Amino acid sequence: MRTVKLTINGKPVIREIEDNRLLVEFLREDQKLTGTKESCGVGVCGACTVLLDGKPISSCLTLAVHADGGAITTIEGIAEGDRLHPLQEAFLAHGGLQCGICTPGQILAAKALLEANPHPTKAEIQHWMMGNLCRCTGYYKIVESIAVAAGAN
Amino acid sequence: MVAASLSNKAIGLPVRRVDGVAKVTGRTVYAGDVDLPGMIYGRCLRSPYPSARIVSIDTRRAAALPGVRAVLTGADVPDVRYGRMCKDVPILTKDVVRFVGDKLAAVAADSIETAEAALELIDVQYEELPAVFSAEDAVRPSAPIIHSETVEVFPNAAAGIHGELRMYPPIPNVISQLKVQHGDAASAFAGAYKIFEHRFAVPSIHQGYIEPHTCLVSIGADGVVDLWVANKGPHIARAHMAAATGIAEDRIRFNPVAIGGDFGGKGSLMDTLLCYCLARAAGRPVKMVMTSFEELTAANPRHSASVTLRTGVDRDARLLAIEARVIFNAGAYAGLVPVPTLHGGYAEVAGAYRVPNCAFEVLRVYTNTVPCGHMRAPGAPQVTFAVESHIDMIAHGMVLDPLEMRRRNAIAEGDLTPLGEKRRLLRCRETIDAGARAFGWDKPKPADIGRGISIFQHPPGNFGRSTVALTMGVDGRITIQVGSPDTGTGFHTIAAQLVAEHFGASVEEVDVVQGDTLVSGFEFGSSGQRLTTTIGQAIAAAADKMKQDLTALAAERLNCAPSDIQMGEDGSFAAAGATIDRRTLMGWAAARGKAPLSSQGENKPVPSDRTSFVAHFAEVAIDRETGQVRLRRIVTAHDIGTIVNPITHQGQIEGGLIQAVGQAMSERIALKDGAVITAHLGDYKLPTVMDIPELETVLLPGGGGAAPFSTTAIGEMSNVAVPAAITNAVFDAVGVRLVELPISAEKVLEGLSDGAGAA
Repeated sequence: MRTVKLTINGKPVIREIEDNRLLVEFLREDQKLTGTKESCGVGVCGACTVLLDGKPISSCLTLAVHADGGAITTIEGIAEGDRLHPLQEAFLAHGGLQCGICTPGQILAAKALLEANPHPTKAEIQHWMMGNLCRCTGYYKIVESIAVAAGAN
Repeated sequence: MVAASLSNKAIGLPVRRVDGVAKVTGRTVYAGDVDLPGMIYGRCLRSPYPSARIVSIDTRRAAALPGVRAVLTGADVPDVRYGRMCKDVPILTKDVVRFVGDKLAAVAADSIETAEAALELIDVQYEELPAVFSAEDAVRPSAPIIHSETVEVFPNAAAGIHGELRMYPPIPNVISQLKVQHGDAASAFAGAYKIFEHRFAVPSIHQGYIEPHTCLVSIGADGVVDLWVANKGPHIARAHMAAATGIAEDRIRFNPVAIGGDFGGKGSLMDTLLCYCLARAAGRPVKMVMTSFEELTAANPRHSASVTLRTGVDRDARLLAIEARVIFNAGAYAGLVPVPTLHGGYAEVAGAYRVPNCAFEVLRVYTNTVPCGHMRAPGAPQVTFAVESHIDMIAHGMVLDPLEMRRRNAIAEGDLTPLGEKRRLLRCRETIDAGARAFGWDKPKPADIGRGISIFQHPPGNFGRSTVALTMGVDGRITIQVGSPDTGTGFHTIAAQLVAEHFGASVEEVDVVQGDTLVSGFEFGSSGQRLTTTIGQAIAAAADKMKQDLTALAAERLNCAPSDIQMGEDGSFAAAGATIDRRTLMGWAAARGKAPLSSQGENKPVPSDRTSFVAHFAEVAIDRETGQVRLRRIVTAHDIGTIVNPITHQGQIEGGLIQAVGQAMSERIALKDGAVITAHLGDYKLPTVMDIPELETVLLPGGGGAAPFSTTAIGEMSNVAVPAAITNAVFDAVGVRLVELPISAEKVLEGLSDGAGAA
């Protein structure tokens, strides 16, 4: 056990966390932030993607204690009240989601992309997003959604 | 009389998904997101052997581990067999294990870690038995028998099946044998100009849904069993659960949850019955989530198949007769699919062609491998890969353009389908031509670039019950209650648009509610590209009843006879110069105790006289040095009816297409000694965003679907035939014919070194 101080979606959190607790478990079970999904558990599918200090990470491979001192952003934290983030708007308007299980991870990975590269080319979007699997959409509308959101930047 | 309106206020508009805001903000609740007080976790022990006798199981050390609340073996659970058609799946297997991954014990504990630690403490002694892995070997007289007991089959097995079906015939390990005959194939072959025979193999693939199978069971003090399950058809799941446990259906409540991808794979109970037994034994709610390893090794993937086709043609390459032998490897259990044999396994054997004489034999066979289930157009992708490769090979053998080969033999108006069904509006050639124009089939191409075509026809699903309940509130808003989840296809959004269209309302005025199985009417669920059709019929029936009530109210309000009332496209009611809108009318009715209104509607399953066509065109580039195949471009041309929502429609096309690209280019459940070795998503290669080709979609509207508002179906059209277009393109590029999926650089290189591409 160790004491961990971090922020989650801008709110400070101080908790005693077991050393072997995974970040995805800490977020979903302790913090009840179930918007972060777990699927493959081995860092391949990207469903568990969250941002640590703005960078996308697989929360299924990250120990919660590693987030000590950091700022975590989850899907619950990117809209401002009822005002959706431009990526959320774009995914809705352009069909960037179907079943929705990969969507939180897709949107957070894309958010990190647009912060690193506000006007990516289609090839840059594809290259950045290759760690986030989607079985429903065939990816075309995800790429389109991100490109539209980038255009709104 | 009130006419159905088509104001295009709702249908055809790219409206946002009704479940969209919740999904992009992380608020959607999937089964795994539900957390109950006192909830504990279940895990199961799986066999490491493909075939063995269980000599003994000692669970004492597991049960003694602190935090363990229940340990079960086959002796502790009801001795029943579950199955959606063939009842052969035990809750936990008792005497023998039949595949690597067969469940034989289970633990419920305070944490997943404790449950897994307890599994390690269960001591099982096995005695290995002979095993058989290939379907061809399993039907030999010397093969070990995988199910020696009699398997109960639902009495309606042959319903809707064309041909002669025999369940569990006296052939080793055969679940079903179907023989279909039309015309006189033997005579036709005798008179054929040339006869072609080829054999193809398609491996099993996983549905690839990102949400693993998940269930949560809570048994209430009142005896009601509450469930949250990643299952696409809660009403059917409930019926199967009632049959297996003896609990009355009205004591079983499947609660509404969103489904994180289905593609046919989420129709069985999977761990639900075991989870119920654990909850009962532990006296606590129990949640079970399959790991990715379990999903890839022991869920219910697509059947692998071998397909042998023999076809006779005349001098002009017209198809005279087709003989087919299709063998599906079902794995160790048959109960995870709701049919005796895979529909596409016989319905698509003659593809979209006019073939006067057919003789098919389709076998579904047990082996000691992972039990198989349904996946998008069950049976059709396997058989269509064979048919569309075979047709290409015949075209080359007859020195004929593969496109012309297809045009010449495509069914057209007045022809019967290969199963002898009558259809109207057969637009196969038009679909091929539209796709070919967009693709540039006739344009010159550089060296080592190949172009391939494949086609497919399939009717919309018009089977299974759909019921809906409509409520119109005092403010004129409309709620539709449905009984099954949106698996991602957009079905709930489509339902909202159809409802809105009937009442001249906007989609924003319609709420969609998924009711639990105690309150919602029966819904068969997502299956066989049926929902737009069947829910459309149910909605039309319910809307018609409600419109009659509204008309009566309007007549009362406007002091006229109901027959004088006209319903406008905007949903208002008019008679003799006076008009009243829906909201005002409902407010007036509410003040008199006559609102809200409610109505129910049900579909009437009837065979469809419509079918749809698709033509896919693929362009590949081959690196002759490495054999690597790069998929550069696809044009997909679709014969369609009314599009309800262009976003979800295109989403079905693109998603289905890229799943097929996975089947063609990278996906394969690989076995070694019967065990799945592609057990990690790093080894089992789903397509990523880097793998998508340039895509152009060509739509031919006006296909005039059979359902209300002339809709038809799209969900399986985009998926089934794509792999053959790609392998046909590989042949076109370098002369290497791939008869087994998936494509690999090694196979192409091997073909090149054999000299196939020398010319």
